[in-house]
Amino acid sequence: MSTTPVTSAAARYTGQSVHRKEDRRLLTGHGQYVDDVAVAGTLHAAFLRSEVARAAITELDVTAARELPGVVAVFTSQDFDGRFGEAWHTMLGEELQVPPPLAITDVRHVGDPIALVVAESRYIAEDAIELIEVDLDMAEPVVDFATAGADTDHIVHGAWGFPSNNMVEVPFTPLSPDLDAAFKDADNVVECTIRQNRYVCVPMEGRGILASWSAGREELEIVCSTQSVHETRNFFGRYLGIPEGQVRVTARDVGGGFGQKMFMFREEAAIVLASRLLGRPVKWIEDRRENLVAAAHSRNELGTVRMAVDGDNVIQAITVDHIADLGAYPACPAIMNHQLLPGPYKIPRLGFSMAMVWTNTMGKGAYRGPWMFETTAREMAIDHAARKLGVDPVELRRKNLLSLADMPFTSPGGNTFIESTPLETLEQALEILDLDAFRREQAAARSEGRLLGLGVSVYIEPSSMQAPGLASEGATVRVESSGKVVAFFGTTSHGQSVETTMAQIVADQLGVDYDDVTIVQADTQSTPWGPGTGGSRTAVVAGGAAREAALAVREKVLAVAANVLEAAEEDLDIEHGSVVVKGTPTKTVTMRQVAAAAYRDADALPPELSAGLEATARFRPQSFPTWSNATHVCVVEIDRDTCIPKILRYIVSEDCGRMINPQIVEGQIYGGVVQGIGGVVLEDFVYDSDGNPLTTTFVDYLLPTTTEVPEIEVGHLETDSTTNPGGFKGMGEGGAIGSHAAVANAIGDALAPLGIDVLSTPLGPNDIHRLMVEAGAA
Amino acid sequence: MNETVVSMTVNGDQRTGNVEPRKILADFLREDCGLTGTHLGCEHGVCGACTIMLDGRATRSCLVFAVQADGSDVTTVEGLAAGDELNPVQEAFRAEHGLQCGFCTPGFVVSATAFLDRNPDPTDDELREGLSGNLCRCTGYQGILRAVRAAAEATKARTA
Amino acid sequence: MKPAPFDYYAPATVDEAVQLLRDAGDEAKVIAGGQSLVPMLNLRLARFEVLVDIGRIDELRRVEQIGEEVVVGATARQCDIEVDGTVAKSVPLLAAATPLIGHFQIRSRGTVGGSIAHADPAAEYPAVALALDAKLDVAAPSRQRTIDANEFFAGTWMTALEDDEILTAVRFPVWPSGSGFAVEEVARRYGDFAIAGAVVGVHVEDGRVARAAVALFGMGSTPLRAAEAEAALVDSAVDQIDAAAIGTAAVVSTEPPDDLHASSGLRQHIGRTVVTRAVTRALQEAQNR
Repeated sequence: MSTTPVTSAAARYTGQSVHRKEDRRLLTGHGQYVDDVAVAGTLHAAFLRSEVARAAITELDVTAARELPGVVAVFTSQDFDGRFGEAWHTMLGEELQVPPPLAITDVRHVGDPIALVVAESRYIAEDAIELIEVDLDMAEPVVDFATAGADTDHIVHGAWGFPSNNMVEVPFTPLSPDLDAAFKDADNVVECTIRQNRYVCVPMEGRGILASWSAGREELEIVCSTQSVHETRNFFGRYLGIPEGQVRVTARDVGGGFGQKMFMFREEAAIVLASRLLGRPVKWIEDRRENLVAAAHSRNELGTVRMAVDGDNVIQAITVDHIADLGAYPACPAIMNHQLLPGPYKIPRLGFSMAMVWTNTMGKGAYRGPWMFETTAREMAIDHAARKLGVDPVELRRKNLLSLADMPFTSPGGNTFIESTPLETLEQALEILDLDAFRREQAAARSEGRLLGLGVSVYIEPSSMQAPGLASEGATVRVESSGKVVAFFGTTSHGQSVETTMAQIVADQLGVDYDDVTIVQADTQSTPWGPGTGGSRTAVVAGGAAREAALAVREKVLAVAANVLEAAEEDLDIEHGSVVVKGTPTKTVTMRQVAAAAYRDADALPPELSAGLEATARFRPQSFPTWSNATHVCVVEIDRDTCIPKILRYIVSEDCGRMINPQIVEGQIYGGVVQGIGGVVLEDFVYDSDGNPLTTTFVDYLLPTTTEVPEIEVGHLETDSTTNPGGFKGMGEGGAIGSHAAVANAIGDALAPLGIDVLSTPLGPNDIHRLMVEAGAA
Repeated sequence: MNETVVSMTVNGDQRTGNVEPRKILADFLREDCGLTGTHLGCEHGVCGACTIMLDGRATRSCLVFAVQADGSDVTTVEGLAAGDELNPVQEAFRAEHGLQCGFCTPGFVVSATAFLDRNPDPTDDELREGLSGNLCRCTGYQGILRAVRAAAEATKARTA
Repeated sequence: MKPAPFDYYAPATVDEAVQLLRDAGDEAKVIAGGQSLVPMLNLRLARFEVLVDIGRIDELRRVEQIGEEVVVGATARQCDIEVDGTVAKSVPLLAAATPLIGHFQIRSRGTVGGSIAHADPAAEYPAVALALDAKLDVAAPSRQRTIDANEFFAGTWMTALEDDEILTAVRFPVWPSGSGFAVEEVARRYGDFAIAGAVVGVHVEDGRVARAAVALFGMGSTPLRAAEAEAALVDSAVDQIDAAAIGTAAVVSTEPPDDLHASSGLRQHIGRTVVTRAVTRALQEAQNR
């Protein structure tokens, strides 16, 4: 751990928008995603999945499928019985076991895998799926999560002996002793129920795995579309009961994840078992319909928020009664963080209750800011409160937001913020907007009957959290014989530009050229262990490891060079990949020459200097989490004649500390923002009352395109973090955290003159039309 | 299995294979030609990741069977760069951070190249409409729009 | 997902094609551009034992004006229609509707005949054919006939075509000068099937509407002619027309479908809007010509 500033070369690359190392291969069609990997003799897999939400399996006949030419095997749950062991992830712990890969006695959601066909091609595998005969005894499913907890007649996991649909239920818990009094004494108590719709990650590359079991070597080789090769290796080591050293996992390129690929699911487990039983490589590439229907879902939460507000519009307390839909088989309890409900506000009192309920729908997983319903609930509730109290929602926020001057600040949820700038980001965003000009424009529009609205959302993001296994990252940096640098990381980048940002840090700390640094990651046989890329943690944690390992190698380089140059180490510096004697520019030795001294001529080194130029560091931030923060501002106009909302402006002011690469920072913001925009105005994963999914293709599940997104304007505040020597704050999830409420609030503000109180999402044209009809305004 | 012989020019090379009629062109390119730059993101004609040029026109290769392309001229993302030199669209995507995970990128680059071929000086609306047939989940399209604008400018400057 | 197996034929003539269809009965399907059919095949929502690809029949790709009609071969591609000089001059409504179909990568292969024969009720071309009283030429083994557009569309994805018939050409009447046309649609995203759309043609003589055609799409199981709106337009003085009232008249007796993306009520709301906008634009255009 490093807290004191360490000597390093001047930053040539950190803070610069250098071109990405990843781009050339990806732009020319030479990326290597899992389906691009060809291994001789590979078989192709397809799953038979349940088409009903809840039913007992009364008969399953795979005879005809097995007989189809080209089919190698058809597996049902019986075939896997006793073939696997522990099924848990390091980060989630033993209590959260991945269910058996295939349904045994009954199906519990549409998409539940029932059988697995392995064939010479995916075409044939799908032909065989159609030949499987399955008889089901249908039962009434649990679909509405709001009522599922009270439903004692229909229990999702009744077959496992559970008495209710509540996986976890926490009764109302005041986190402040004087909570009741605050509500009793309040001039105003505002209450509303906020609902956030179900929308999903939708990485452009679905899940996928190529598993090759070698019986002779007793080794499992996996290429996987994953956010964590090491977690995948740990999982399958346990799953098969073999040492992790016999499992190699790689992921050269991964086509997005957004949380969905953080863990292993039943499908990957089934493929590994199939490969082990057949002794052949088996590949499963999830198709789009599977990804929409049967890859982890997200959001879908509701909360009744109460706020006690005094006569000066100071919010004195906030509470939530929260229910989250987990679906049938949740990947992880990725729900609202209650401690974070007061967010970036000075609200001194907090209380909550929660229920996490099972339903006969696809299970919940992580999605970029999995806890973000705290922001949606709070920010939409603040706008509701502003409408009720007759105050400007901007003023209500100004009155209650924390600013840098309030730091450090400990919230009633127990979070301590050290260097956060919520009010400052609000002001910067409003300056970019020109609030006064907007309010004039809005007044004019309203006088013409136009529906023009402003939405604001402020949040604080716990990056680099201290969940199990997430506290540290390792890096190994090596100057090779050529003088070029290779750095190994435990990360599994899937769009985050990790090869670029880590190379920037290594190059700066070591004093070499960016182009001379190669990053190796996502290969369990060569890289330090790491829990995975997610949780907005790479810049802070892996960035810290990069710095420390590079500095250690730097010291080694200087020591060897001092020996070669017959100079004192403290008189040396590294510039552009050469070691120079300060003030004597002619006295220099190239990195290649240093490497030759350290490797080939190592026996000439003094005894206290070991051979080689390599160091490994494991970095742990000084405290957890590293907080970043931002304000989002959205301007929407709704066409009354079509009910289509159009986003006219979108502004983000954010503080992620020192930026490694501004272009990459902004790229992360843009992507997250558009996911939130999508989740409000276009994307909605819908089940009918029988638990049938209705949005199973890209024709019905609508992602934003170039014609629906605004130009996103970004302002930066760079308040250094003290949790790590680089001063970085993680920010990968923020865009998706703040945008949902910003867009919903803008639509709410646009509709407010019609007497409409927007409290739930989605807000597509159909929803807007319904609200207008209900208000007598359509 | 009823297979037929198909033959087509792919990135200037003659390619021949035996395929079932149901084999989509994208799978022929990926499996039979080893050109895995063409990606499948939905297989129902919406995402655009599989976009290629078929006889000079940007086309979804998941919505064409290989047999239908018999005798045609195909250009995939692998055929856009001239040796080590990226084409103007590729170069602009690199400069403007028009890609993150890269999975949608081949489709975008092919679409944008085809779009600018026919409309070298698009208005912003035309540009947005022209790129709206490709889905990206990482970039929020900001870098992509900037890149294609820049590529149009660069091409204009070069030909002026 | 990957499609189920099928046999594939790519005949060189219409005669061969219809014979193949007759031999295969209802197990066969014609494929033209395939931009609607292939997604259904890939998702295994549709399956056929035989596909008859009419994309290699040269005679089906012509676009030419013959007298007061523009004849558009069934496999004329949308991308070609979009830039065709004859179409732009003589059937401007067809030209105007084309860029609204999907995206340009879809129009690279999508055809005029394919779109009309597919008969999606939310598609643009069927509504254009209906509004313009197009004639649809159809061939079967040793039999040919012509179907009026208003008798062609039978329901969602259903037409008057028999199993052994192929749509070979669409004949669009040329309207006289002094005519104006407009197409308006509202979709959730650019390029999506419309929630509701309208195509309008008006012919104005001496400041009065002499002829009017209003067709709606997305508003029923087939494209619809809005007879009440047309009646309200005809004989009206252009400067007296209340376009919003025409919009209301166009949708008042419709019963649009209710789905995920739009309720019946929203479709009527948008239907009114698109008719109003299209009538306004078509009248302006007629006066400027």
